[in-house]
Amino acid sequence: MERTRQLVTSKTFLIHFILILGSVAMVLPFLWMILTSLKTYTESIHVPPVIIPKDLQWGNYKEVFGLLPFFKFMFNTFIITVARTAGQLFLCSLAAYAFARIEFPGRNILFMLALSVLMVPGQVFLLPQYMIMVKLGWLNTLQAVIVPGIFSAFGTFLLRQFFMGLPKELEEAARLDGCNHFQIYWRIMLPLAKPGLIALGIFTTLWSWNELMWPMIVNSSPESMTLSVGLSSLQGQYLTNYPILMAGSFLAILPMLILFIILQKQFIEGIAVTGGK
Amino acid sequence: MKQIPLQAEVKATKKLTVSSLTKTRKRSDYFWAYLMIAPTMLGLFIFYLWPIIQTFYFSFTEWGAFGQYEWTGLDNYKRMLEDTNLLQSFKNTGIYIIFTVPIGIFLSILVAVLLNQKIKGKSVYRTLYFLPVITMPAAIAMVWKWLFNADYGLLNYLLSLIGIKGPHWVSDPKIALYSIIVVAIWSGIGYNMVIFLSGLQGIPKMYYEAAEIDGAGSIKVFFKITLPLLSPVIFFVSIMSLIGAFQVFDLIFMMIGKSSTALESTQSIVYLFYQHAFVLNDKGYAAAIAVLLLIVILIITAIQMVLQKKWVHYD
Amino acid sequence: MMKKWLIMLLTVVLGLLGLAGCSDSKASSDAKDGKAEITYGFWDKKQVPAIEEIIKLFNEKYPNIKVKTEITPYGQYFQKLETAATGGALPDVLWMNGAHVVQYAEGKVILPLSDMAKKDNYSLDNYPKSLIDLYTVDGKVYGIPKDYDTTGLWYNKKIFDDAGVSYPDDTWDWNKLKEVAKQLTNKEKGIWGYAALMGNQGGYYDFIWQNGGHIISEDGKSVGFDQPEAIEALKYNISFIKEGLSPTQAQMTETAASELFSSGKVAMMFDGPWMVPEYMKNPDLNVAVVPKGKKRAVAIHGLSNVIAANTKHKDAAWKLVQFLGSKEAADIYAKTGTVIPAYNGTQDAWKDAVPNLNLQAFIDGAEYSVPLPSVKNTGEIWQYETDILKKAWSEEVSVEDAVKELTKKANEALKK
Repeated sequence: MERTRQLVTSKTFLIHFILILGSVAMVLPFLWMILTSLKTYTESIHVPPVIIPKDLQWGNYKEVFGLLPFFKFMFNTFIITVARTAGQLFLCSLAAYAFARIEFPGRNILFMLALSVLMVPGQVFLLPQYMIMVKLGWLNTLQAVIVPGIFSAFGTFLLRQFFMGLPKELEEAARLDGCNHFQIYWRIMLPLAKPGLIALGIFTTLWSWNELMWPMIVNSSPESMTLSVGLSSLQGQYLTNYPILMAGSFLAILPMLILFIILQKQFIEGIAVTGGK
Repeated sequence: MKQIPLQAEVKATKKLTVSSLTKTRKRSDYFWAYLMIAPTMLGLFIFYLWPIIQTFYFSFTEWGAFGQYEWTGLDNYKRMLEDTNLLQSFKNTGIYIIFTVPIGIFLSILVAVLLNQKIKGKSVYRTLYFLPVITMPAAIAMVWKWLFNADYGLLNYLLSLIGIKGPHWVSDPKIALYSIIVVAIWSGIGYNMVIFLSGLQGIPKMYYEAAEIDGAGSIKVFFKITLPLLSPVIFFVSIMSLIGAFQVFDLIFMMIGKSSTALESTQSIVYLFYQHAFVLNDKGYAAAIAVLLLIVILIITAIQMVLQKKWVHYD
Repeated sequence: MMKKWLIMLLTVVLGLLGLAGCSDSKASSDAKDGKAEITYGFWDKKQVPAIEEIIKLFNEKYPNIKVKTEITPYGQYFQKLETAATGGALPDVLWMNGAHVVQYAEGKVILPLSDMAKKDNYSLDNYPKSLIDLYTVDGKVYGIPKDYDTTGLWYNKKIFDDAGVSYPDDTWDWNKLKEVAKQLTNKEKGIWGYAALMGNQGGYYDFIWQNGGHIISEDGKSVGFDQPEAIEALKYNISFIKEGLSPTQAQMTETAASELFSSGKVAMMFDGPWMVPEYMKNPDLNVAVVPKGKKRAVAIHGLSNVIAANTKHKDAAWKLVQFLGSKEAADIYAKTGTVIPAYNGTQDAWKDAVPNLNLQAFIDGAEYSVPLPSVKNTGEIWQYETDILKKAWSEEVSVEDAVKELTKKANEALKK
């Protein structure tokens, strides 16, 4: 008995040891980012490194705000993220409902067509999408980033899985009451697919907030730049002035960090759902 | 991944709709269905399906300055055969995949299994491991580039404490790719861990109880029960990681400068695509690279689909 | 109840799209009542304060023309322009350099200004002729010069004082530079005597010219990188790295040389007057003329303001370009010490604006300067230079092999 307990504690100890080791590796870069962001340039390249800056250089943050319209970037990214997420949730769930619950001619073919998009790497769409934006005169506008992002084959597929898992009786009853499909979708199905909607919402939010290549291609003016692109342009201007670059990086990740801390459970469950539970 | 076969549903609906209203109801069904799928299908068609065809077309053209292009037949594809940069980028991407996918999956299973034990502070660990997932790759790249700085970075300082002179992590052509791999694995563990964790929680308790009665050790339990039952999830994650790894761009773009000596030995296929499409304004060739990438991904996914029968256990 | 929600959601989505889209329609309606909003694209954030002041002054004169600035870092600037030009979305007024003007003029994405200048009696004689020539393509002027720059030898006085070495002056030559770099290099303190940057202007171009070599032949058909003079110059440059007197190429990619210099880790380096706003903050720094080789030589280059062919407000853009090239604007540039203004006679004011730096070194450079070569495919040649020479800088390949490859590729580019 005594032996087993010892075994159990040493096993628990080992588990904690490994997990803590990993946690340090996970958190250290973030810690170093914050510490560096508060150093002077000379402190940052001191050998051996200065761990805690002598005077906290809040001015670095001020400099980031002064030279790039960082609030504007945040606002742009926010608008893009909200619009894409809201758009996808609505449009994908609408299509997903029809694909899952209504029988109509051409359903399988159309669905396969939509699915085929999933198999294709994003770069294949990029050039033509870019040409479309050029033709529409949408370069350097927010809608250039938003519009292609509100249509999603992945979202449609994910939500279709959800709608298919719901019992048939629900809608039969509603139909007898004279509800049309839109009403069934809106009143009955949507509330039941909430976990799926949350998952898709989180997935789209994360992707929109962090995306780099597409916004970089279509938006080069500070008026419509996103945070990711803003960071890359900060690197272009400050080369290797890491206190400034780290201040910019921290500002860019802060909003998502706060959102994550508030909605931790939803984030983690949402990601688990997109992983094809 | 349960999926009700479409055929079965069709039959079910047929049985239920044997009333006089069938016809009008059907017509209204069609109306609503088309209306509901219309926005998404239209959007997918304009922004995704048609572009696939266009990219194929562009891959047979050559672009001049400022947007004019002309048909040049197979020239771009012929050029690929001699393009050492392209070959190198495939090699780079290959090395990147070979390391990030298996090591990433191994580490995230390890963390998931540890977190699935009865221990305290689970949710704290889970949160910490998940942090990189919510962080934008541009910021991740920047902070790691700084940690990796050969002269003033934290990493080489820590190494110097134990008497090792650290290398030029991001500018030595022999090492830079592996530094990027480290960052990619670091930032991907959290995502896969969450998926594995939910997979582990889906394994019925009775299997473990049975094993306990048999007196099997925890290592044996892991290999005989956990791993086989987790294999569908592993399969899913490996396909997704593979496709994701094929398209690596952000980290390389942000971490390796244009005048860096390590550029050739780190640039991925997608980086090369971006260079040709939007830096060198060589859009025809870029389209050909995209087509090649599509074909390679399709082939590899197909191979995985075939191989899965050998090792994935579905109940 | 539910319907209300749906309508709200739809309004939000559509509203957002509309919100983002409204900027376009506004711009076109502005044009009707004489008001115009034009964009001004450039890359150097250090010039923002001066540019803002100039725009303020411009608006006192033309209150109806609103100027929006668009900064893109130099590393991405021309790539962005090319993309934007393809889509007819160039900023109305933008910075142009000598390397790209031929390509842009021949591609008809920027407007010739000669006719407008003639009509408005705008004199082009106020600028150095070499700069006007740089922006003349097929007999038409495409850009109004805004500034010019040469190269100086920047140095850190404190490092010199600590080592008891006298500051650089106009007697210096290549040997002296090497000798002092050796004296100043201090491994223990992590100080390098010199930063051998891999850059053409203010780098190997200058050295090649000083050694009697050439970059592009007179007839414009071949490059001179594989000539013995050029090879010797490149080798001299790289020798600083080989002998440990300069940070390596890898080190300079990981930590920018200009930052190593301004924080006292590098004693000397070549750089242009565009660093003045940055370096004048540090009292330890000063600048001297570059050392001579077989002869004195330094690259000269100047930027100009050009008008995009896709502009919807040609008149407003031309007014801005005129103003940016005016004496008033030059005075502001001079006063703030930002760059050497191109407008004749304003250079002394620039020099006096920052008395603690020996800015005369840059103005002197103009006397024996060589214009930066400009042909249709300059951009492409520059790309090859970076791709290939970086391998020589990092000592992966020999200088001889590098120049062989570079010459071959560059000559092919010249033939196009």
